[in-house]
Amino acid sequence: MKWYLKIIPLLFILILWELAAILLNNPFILPHPSSVASVLLAPTADILGSGSIIDNALLSIWRVLLGFGLAAACAVPLGIIIGNYRTLEELVNPIIQLFRPIPPLAWVPLALAWFKIGLVSIVFIIFIGSFFPILINSIDGVRRVNRTWIETARIYGAEGWKMLAYVILPAAAPVIWTGLRVGFGVAWMCVVAAEMLPGTTSGIGYLIMYSYNWGQVQVIIAGMIVIGIIGIGVDILFREIEKRKFMWQEMNR
Amino acid sequence: MNIKVLMSLVALLAAALLVAGCVEDVPVAPPDGVQGEVGIMYTAVGQMPTLLATGQIDGFMVWQPLVSMATVSEIGTVVTYSKDLPPESTWTDHTCCALSAREDFIAANPDLTNAIAALFILAGEYVQENPERSAEISANWLYGGADMTFGDVTISSYDVSKDSIPTIRFTTENSPEWLESNHRFIGALREIGYLTGELETASPDKVDTKLFDFGPYEAGLAMVEAGEIKTPPKLTRPVSLGYLPSDHDAPLFVAVKEWEYFNDNYGIALKPRADVPGKVEVADLIVNDVVVAEVRLVLGEGGAPLMTLMAANAIQFAYAGTPPAISAIDKGTPIKILFPTQTEGSGFVVDSAAPVTDWSSFITWVESRTAEGRPVKIASPARGSIQDVQIKYALQDSGVVVKEVR
Repeated sequence: MKWYLKIIPLLFILILWELAAILLNNPFILPHPSSVASVLLAPTADILGSGSIIDNALLSIWRVLLGFGLAAACAVPLGIIIGNYRTLEELVNPIIQLFRPIPPLAWVPLALAWFKIGLVSIVFIIFIGSFFPILINSIDGVRRVNRTWIETARIYGAEGWKMLAYVILPAAAPVIWTGLRVGFGVAWMCVVAAEMLPGTTSGIGYLIMYSYNWGQVQVIIAGMIVIGIIGIGVDILFREIEKRKFMWQEMNR
Repeated sequence: MNIKVLMSLVALLAAALLVAGCVEDVPVAPPDGVQGEVGIMYTAVGQMPTLLATGQIDGFMVWQPLVSMATVSEIGTVVTYSKDLPPESTWTDHTCCALSAREDFIAANPDLTNAIAALFILAGEYVQENPERSAEISANWLYGGADMTFGDVTISSYDVSKDSIPTIRFTTENSPEWLESNHRFIGALREIGYLTGELETASPDKVDTKLFDFGPYEAGLAMVEAGEIKTPPKLTRPVSLGYLPSDHDAPLFVAVKEWEYFNDNYGIALKPRADVPGKVEVADLIVNDVVVAEVRLVLGEGGAPLMTLMAANAIQFAYAGTPPAISAIDKGTPIKILFPTQTEGSGFVVDSAAPVTDWSSFITWVESRTAEGRPVKIASPARGSIQDVQIKYALQDSGVVVKEVR
């Protein structure tokens, strides 16, 4: 589909928003798109003494990249190991299931006590949010590798790391990639929780929470839109890579 | 079959929601003999103006600058500032924010603690004497001097600060009224079961020794009066001071932004590392032209989180309300309250359309709304906060029944 056709629903929502705002005629319930746009259209202007949208967004992206990168670096190898050994999986599965549903926000007090005020705490919150989706998909990816392929490779003499590097990893890669994509989405969602930490005076999540402190709804909505736009951008990137690298998966079906 | 069950479940749920949503609006006849009733709910302070403007509450009790935000934007009108709440003359010089510090830090760094006390005594005086300039500094620190939008009204943050600063009493003196009001809050915290540790049953004298250490204040005041600050030994590790986003903390903002003034006149200053228009995160404490410590300024969401940070030794000083400090000390956190940084400075706001101009007309309104079966609903910050205790106390004193909205 042509890209400009995809914009039509977006425009439709905007028009609906404006109409609803006119009908409601109460900017407390629904601010006009124009008041939000005026925040978004000045992305380099200072907001409430907390820096501009662009500066804050870049900082948040950097923090998310750190937390997500760390989560990927830990969860992918761990997932491959766990996925490879049935007994190990059965042993650690209850632990994973226990920690997985805990919302990152609940970790805030502990993060502060363990890592103190600063970047490490923020990165930890993002890490913990994206760790589990990546881990679970990695385990699943390895577990779901076609048995026939493994058996075939074994007949041809593949063992140990060769089996891992040439058969299991490439075969599990699409599922692991999906895990990374989901993990990044969650990491990005965690940015508000992470930037609520005391001592934080920057980032798009902080900007939202700080504006909330002063009831500045138009800034909150603008911040939400920025988070959404960056989220879409990254997701498109992930999908593009998926399309190019993992075409064979479609063909295999 | 399954679809039918699902459909009826959904219908049932929708009906239940509808009923639940409507119940609140059905007038309930007040029981006989009850004069007035007010529902109180606890909400984050930032959403209070929105709740008021959308008719979900009729008023709120809050700290500054949110009172001024509501009045300058004309969302609400002030019924009374906290010092004038009933019973009469109960709340003069009532406790609010204070500087507290970790005991181990005070013991290890007595001269530095005294110097910090001296600086905040001077900064408090500066704010009292220069309200306009202090308002400007606060507005720059808290909102970058930006305009703020509430619904369709845009107001200047300078106007908010200028309205707010004069309603706060910037004193560092531990007056008898201030001490007494701390005891009143301890009583209130005991009543709602928030004190379960060391302070639950302690006698007033015992409470004072547990809570306060006025030594640094007295030493700081003596140095200010003598006109000479003793240079403390240089601190090798940075010291962190937590504060709240409120112009109650104006003395801190002023101490940093007007560091040259304090340096030139008193030989003590908190010089910001970066020359930024708004918030400062790192400053150097300079005494008699010697840099004695790196001071990190940590912005916290509220008093309670700052106390958690104090307990974890992530910060050594906190600039926050006394009730969170009292709760923390009750739980065994090794901290002491050093001196008030400001007293008073909260207010009670109602919808600007309400027929209310002062406390007595508010009570009349409460009674007529109760008679109509639509009791007045107000919001307050957390249960056990200064604002919560004060408004409940005042309402009960005026014969109004206070019910918590759940």
